[in-house]
Amino acid sequence: MKRLGNFMKLIQNENMKIYLRLRTWIMLGFIVLLPPFLSLAFYLAGGENMSGWSMVLIESRILFFLITIFTVVVAADSVAGEFTWGTIKLLLIRPWSRSTILLSKYLSTMLFALFFTVVAFIMTLLANLVVFGFSTDANLAAGMTDVAYIWKFYLMEFVTLIIIVTFGFTMSSAFRSGGLAIGLSIFFLFAGNLITGLFALANKAWVKYVLFMHLDLTSYINGGNGPIPNYPTTLGFSLAVLAVYFVIFNVVSWTVFRKRDVAA
Amino acid sequence: MSQTAVARLQNVTKVIGKRTIIDRVSFEVRPGEVFGFLGPNGSGKTTTIRMIVGLMGLTDGDIYIGEHSIRKDFPKAIVQVGAIVENPEMYKFLTGYQNLLHYARMNPSITKGRIQEVIELVGLQGRIHDKVKKYSLGMRQRLGVAQAIMHRPKLLVLDEPTNGLDPAGIRELRDYLRRLAQDEGTAVLVSSHLLSEMELMCDRVAILQKGQIIDIRSIRGEAENQGTALDEVLFEVDHPDAALGILAGQGEGRIADGFLTLSADRKGIADLNRKLVEAGINVYGIRVKTKSLEDQFLEMTGSETIG
Ligand SMILES: Nc1ncnc2c1ncn2[C@@H]1O[C@H](COP(=O)(O)OP(=O)(O)OP(=O)(O)O)[C@@H](O)[C@H]1O
Ligand SMILES: [Mg+2]
Repeated sequence: MKRLGNFMKLIQNENMKIYLRLRTWIMLGFIVLLPPFLSLAFYLAGGENMSGWSMVLIESRILFFLITIFTVVVAADSVAGEFTWGTIKLLLIRPWSRSTILLSKYLSTMLFALFFTVVAFIMTLLANLVVFGFSTDANLAAGMTDVAYIWKFYLMEFVTLIIIVTFGFTMSSAFRSGGLAIGLSIFFLFAGNLITGLFALANKAWVKYVLFMHLDLTSYINGGNGPIPNYPTTLGFSLAVLAVYFVIFNVVSWTVFRKRDVAA
Repeated sequence: MSQTAVARLQNVTKVIGKRTIIDRVSFEVRPGEVFGFLGPNGSGKTTTIRMIVGLMGLTDGDIYIGEHSIRKDFPKAIVQVGAIVENPEMYKFLTGYQNLLHYARMNPSITKGRIQEVIELVGLQGRIHDKVKKYSLGMRQRLGVAQAIMHRPKLLVLDEPTNGLDPAGIRELRDYLRRLAQDEGTAVLVSSHLLSEMELMCDRVAILQKGQIIDIRSIRGEAENQGTALDEVLFEVDHPDAALGILAGQGEGRIADGFLTLSADRKGIADLNRKLVEAGINVYGIRVKTKSLEDQFLEMTGSETIG
């Protein structure tokens, strides 16, 4: 228990380094202001009959995009930043193993993503409750209430976010360059769709095991056959594929971080 | 090998690629001593220090802090060490105080009171709540010292600590390190290529060249040698040539810059002086030119280029 309490102090440190930066509050400003802004703009542009739920869905898609990028930026600084700043030399000469220090960084990055996602959820609901109201049903999916759909949407999208951010964290730890980590992760985010389209044309069974094919899980919400047109998959299968990549990414992060000489 | 050594390096070797950067370096630092680590640029001081604090792995050999190996028992070894490696880089977007708090949180033995104490000790109380990005190099150096001593380490490792300090700051640091060693028994390891500085602050000095230790010597032990060691002695006399003749057979004498120059110990100086006076030579002054560590250092490492 004592050890856990001490470990919480490491998380507290990482949080301090995230939240005592102006940048973080600007990011939060985007998440807070974007939903009311979009809802109002759409309302004024003649969409007053829009269902609140449809608007929640649209805004949430945009916000997840932003949150993923913001969290990747935080992940990049969390490890690579310490090397760039030279502070890693003072951070690692404390009575903690490198693995534990990396864990505190990983967890605080994920907590950042969770915090921003909760804010996004609350803000989209609030903004659309005020502007459009939730009296009309948007029928986002058959056989399911809109609330249930949105709820599942957030879960699925958060899984994808974890995978992309974990990838960014690995790049940050492996290359010690924040810019490279951010760049590759954003490429990952965009290329996902393009590569999915390309591979979907290939008539090969191994396409099922390509990570990019499983980055959009929302097609499972209303009982679909998954993201790959030619090869029906289940949610369980997609999660299993993602889990394998998740483990690989983290093994790489930890191995590199523990072993490498700090010569910065 | 004494059991009391705070830090013990045993055949520490570092090979990067095909180059042997550190080659079987062994030495120990004892409680209460200031140990200097002297070497020209690129000789491997920083690399050795990085291995002592666990930032770099060892290719061969081992390093013990107390009885704990830095390789096998890292947290228990490192908890006894405080260090600055090269420049004291801090989180610029945090205040000095937040930086200290950050490192204090990683060591449960550090209290809030102790943080306050070290802030006053390094003289930063007026600026501690400013962001570090507004600090001068000297102020960051002081903050670096503060984080290194907060947990009262048994071994304090400072890589070129006087870098960026003004003369008053250097003097303050020197006095502080000496006091820390004497009063609290802390073992202090400082690296530098400023030789004159090492003479003033260290008890012993290891001289490093191309990754190898070529000499370890006492500096404060000098007093014991007094009386027997041969120093260069300069006599200022009215007729140097005549004087040289009188003293012929008293060792290698020569005339340099109008001074009669000889090697002699304390007793020898008095004898030589008497001989000159008795022979009717006017002696205006006698100056003993002790070989500084710098001279010895340059003699040993030669006018070698970097590497
Ligand atoms: N990461 C590295 N990879 C390869 N060679 C390195 C690395 N780090 C240091 N070296 C080499 O090791 C040697 C020792 O470097 P080190 O920084 O330890 O010297 P130093 O004594 O601290 O010098 P200075 O007085 O300039 O600070 C140098 O020749 C340097 O080029
Ligand atoms: Mg150096």
